Amino acid sequence: MALLEAEQVVMRFGGVVALDNASVDIDIGEVTGLIGPNGAGKTTLFNVVTGLLPPTSGRVKFDGVDITRATVAKRSQMGIARTFQKLEAFNTLSAFDNVRVAVEKNHRAKWKHRRVGDVAHEMLGKVGLDEVADVTVGTLPTGSARLVELARALACRPRVLLLDEPSSGLNEDETSSIGELLLGLVADEDNELAVLLVEHDMSFVMGVCARIHVLDFGKIIAVGTPIEVQGDSAVRAAYLGSDEFRGAYVELDE
Amino acid sequence: MIFGVRHSVVVATLLATLGAVVLAVLTWKGSQVTSESFLVTTYIGLFLGALWAMYATGLVVVYTTTGVFNFAQGAIGVFSAFLYWELHVNRGWHSILALFVVVCLFAPALGVTLDAVIMRRLRTASLVVQLMVTVAIMVLLLSVVGDIWEADTPRRVPYLFGINNGIDLGPSQLPWHRLIVFVVAIAIAVSMRFLLRRTRIGTAMRAVVDNRELAALNGARPNVVSSTSWALGSMLGALGGILIAPELGLDPATLNNVVIIAFAAAAFGALRNLPMAVIGAMLIGLLRAHTGAWLDFGPDFRFAHLAVAPLILLFVVVALPQARLEVGRLAHHLRRHERYTKWWEGLIGCGVVILLAVAFSGGWLDFGIWDPGAWGSRELNSANEAMALALIGLSLVPLIGWAGQINFAPLAFAGFGAFVYLKFAGDSGNGYWILLVGLLCAPLGALVALPAARLRGLYLALMTMAFAQAMSLIFFPHPWVMPIIGTGRQFPHIELFGVTFDDRRGFFLLMVCVFAIFVYGLVLLRRSRYGRRWMAINDSQAAAATLGVPVVWTKVVVYAVSASMAGIAGVFWATVSGNVDSVQGFDLLIGFNIVLLVAAAGVSIPMAGIFLIFIPLFKGFGLRLEDAGNVDFLVTLLDIMTTYGPGLMVLGMVFNPRGAIFEMGRGFSPILPWRRDARAEIAAENAQKREPEIGELGIDRPFTPEEVIAIDRRLGILDEVVPKEGYGTARS
Repeated sequence: MALLEAEQVVMRFGGVVALDNASVDIDIGEVTGLIGPNGAGKTTLFNVVTGLLPPTSGRVKFDGVDITRATVAKRSQMGIARTFQKLEAFNTLSAFDNVRVAVEKNHRAKWKHRRVGDVAHEMLGKVGLDEVADVTVGTLPTGSARLVELARALACRPRVLLLDEPSSGLNEDETSSIGELLLGLVADEDNELAVLLVEHDMSFVMGVCARIHVLDFGKIIAVGTPIEVQGDSAVRAAYLGSDEFRGAYVELDE
Repeated sequence: MIFGVRHSVVVATLLATLGAVVLAVLTWKGSQVTSESFLVTTYIGLFLGALWAMYATGLVVVYTTTGVFNFAQGAIGVFSAFLYWELHVNRGWHSILALFVVVCLFAPALGVTLDAVIMRRLRTASLVVQLMVTVAIMVLLLSVVGDIWEADTPRRVPYLFGINNGIDLGPSQLPWHRLIVFVVAIAIAVSMRFLLRRTRIGTAMRAVVDNRELAALNGARPNVVSSTSWALGSMLGALGGILIAPELGLDPATLNNVVIIAFAAAAFGALRNLPMAVIGAMLIGLLRAHTGAWLDFGPDFRFAHLAVAPLILLFVVVALPQARLEVGRLAHHLRRHERYTKWWEGLIGCGVVILLAVAFSGGWLDFGIWDPGAWGSRELNSANEAMALALIGLSLVPLIGWAGQINFAPLAFAGFGAFVYLKFAGDSGNGYWILLVGLLCAPLGALVALPAARLRGLYLALMTMAFAQAMSLIFFPHPWVMPIIGTGRQFPHIELFGVTFDDRRGFFLLMVCVFAIFVYGLVLLRRSRYGRRWMAINDSQAAAATLGVPVVWTKVVVYAVSASMAGIAGVFWATVSGNVDSVQGFDLLIGFNIVLLVAAAGVSIPMAGIFLIFIPLFKGFGLRLEDAGNVDFLVTLLDIMTTYGPGLMVLGMVFNPRGAIFEMGRGFSPILPWRRDARAEIAAENAQKREPEIGELGIDRPFTPEEVIAIDRRLGILDEVVPKEGYGTARS
């Protein structure tokens, strides 16, 4: 059974249908990709899953429990964590304190036997930010601030991790080390972790995802392994003329 | 959803109806309701509603098109009404000419100036800065009015179209003035709606508030648009002020308070919906007229019928849907290391403050004319009052400074604290009851925050204002709450640890100690997980929620802490003057001034509280100068500083949102021997200043090689990407 399921989610903003019966499921031990052209509804789906937006209709299930009406904080306590496409780091706090807020909130439930500071340092270390621990996040480059968000999400010890374009603002080396980090995290069975990844960097997506959902105009048009998705004619049509996809396709063919 | 209506609306409507019915039954006057008296009351209500609708229209137009909620709307009306009086009554101009000059020339000029000089820069500022600046403009305008047109002359603004003739309605008359005002207000609202929805400039106005850059690319001119909005809003404020002045009398405070009703009306339209705002204004007008006509609240609640607006605001706040957690704003600065005051630094700081106070009030430090050793009771009294206000100001640090929530009602909480103290410690002056005051004020703060905490910050700000007004209209005037007994001290001297603080100097020292304890508590709080969490919700509520932080509850807790501190401060404040007058006799303006001063000082830094100690020093200094004579110039200067200082300082927040103390601290901290980090930061900043100015990224011109290097350096990628041979000539 999938750990997180979004079933037939519809999200309307006035006359605009951002999500049209979109269903997504993600499993423990995998990085699942969610791709699609700009404006396809990826971030909206994240917002529905994390509770920032109440869906017009449809359901969200976590571990078999219907959480469609649960509050954002409640979902977080159940184990859903995320990063944001538009940065939402705590800009006036240091990187260390950003992570510390998350550890403190989840200390009793998830980190009982460890000291708050140790956990926060470990999380910053995982994303490679030890050196800037004391720097005010609002003054860090965008890519680093994104990593702070990732460390903060990890500090919630999530079972579902939703990442919204984690690689933007990072260079190639940094992107690939994030990829390795994600694969390592999901491979560790103790974590029981499932990752849902929104990305525009196709070689990154194709490299780390076990399965990919493709979203276009609010509809899921394809689900499958990277190879299957690339061969799908509907996906090609959606991406027609888009260099990012064609580039990735060629790259993988080689 | 019930029949397609939101639950919150149904609940709020049911509660409001139930409350209204119960209230009506309990307080029914018993006078006979005839169709004529009903009609007359109704048209008075509609007329009042129309005037408020005019203000509310101005608020909504400015808010929908610039995103700034203008607290100065009422003050613009006040200023315009006084200017109109000056031209028409005092100088004898024809009313139409005076009206034209004020509404069509002065008001738009004021609006455009405000926009060009200040408002435009507030677009990306935090809510705290936006609100503080408009409140500062309100306070400044009112101070100017008070200085130009001194209060000793009685003034009247005549009815524009006469009050004595009009349409005959049987026993009474509907005067032309009121009829025309009603029609004009409705016409304005309709045309504004038309302007915003159906015209090109209106579409541009609404587009600019959503995305200024995008709208600019599509041909809208953001600066023209925002100036137009401010000009329109300012004209509506001016017209409203001139038309309402004949009804209420030409008194700045009374006229300015009208805007609170307009706030409630605007809130009724969720701040953006014009027709609903007008309906809200009419509703408030009708309720106010009819409660005045048919209900009698008795002598104990003699001002209660004026409290319709705060109650409407409460209703709206309960009925509104949960706000979506919004995406925050991002600003990039020079890399800076975050550093909190260490516990021992706080201890040293507080110790220094207490020592200074002891030395100062003991007269060991002699500053010539400023020698406090020679201070008489009058100077010490004013110093004590200001010290108590400074204590109240400290209560705002965690709330406004850290959590980014606004509270315009610190004095209402302080007054409640004084009330609790009066009831428990009454005659004894036993200081230990102050702890109970702290405990009992916390739930009150939570109660005020609870209905609005799930909404956007602006509603919380409005809610606290409504609370302050409701307290001063309903709660404090009640004889049981604050019984006025002859001329004696109702608040006896505080007795603590067996010492009675009955002389002013001792009491001053006691307050300085309490001040130091507050500051030190804040230093520790800021280092704690709670301080961190509060600052986190200020930066991004959405992110905090996804980490499991219960945002609404967190805000409620901050309000409780702040209210508790304000309540304790209130005890000292009441004890300074010894009677209930000071607790009852405050108005919203004093509260505004405290909030402004704290904000301007740099409300996020606990040590900034020390800044407020300068107020008593200045005050005492002014009094001493007056006694010495022959220094009129300096006295006037100090006077101007006290009147305009807070407002002007807050305007500085437009350019330096972190406040004065922050900059002072940055200047001071490198001197401390252990602050190597501060010295390093200054050095880095100076290095950056020597780099070329980058300007708007690549939009208006190509980069020079120097700029490319500067950009790379700022992005931290210089060493990685600069080719060995460099960019063109710049590297060679």
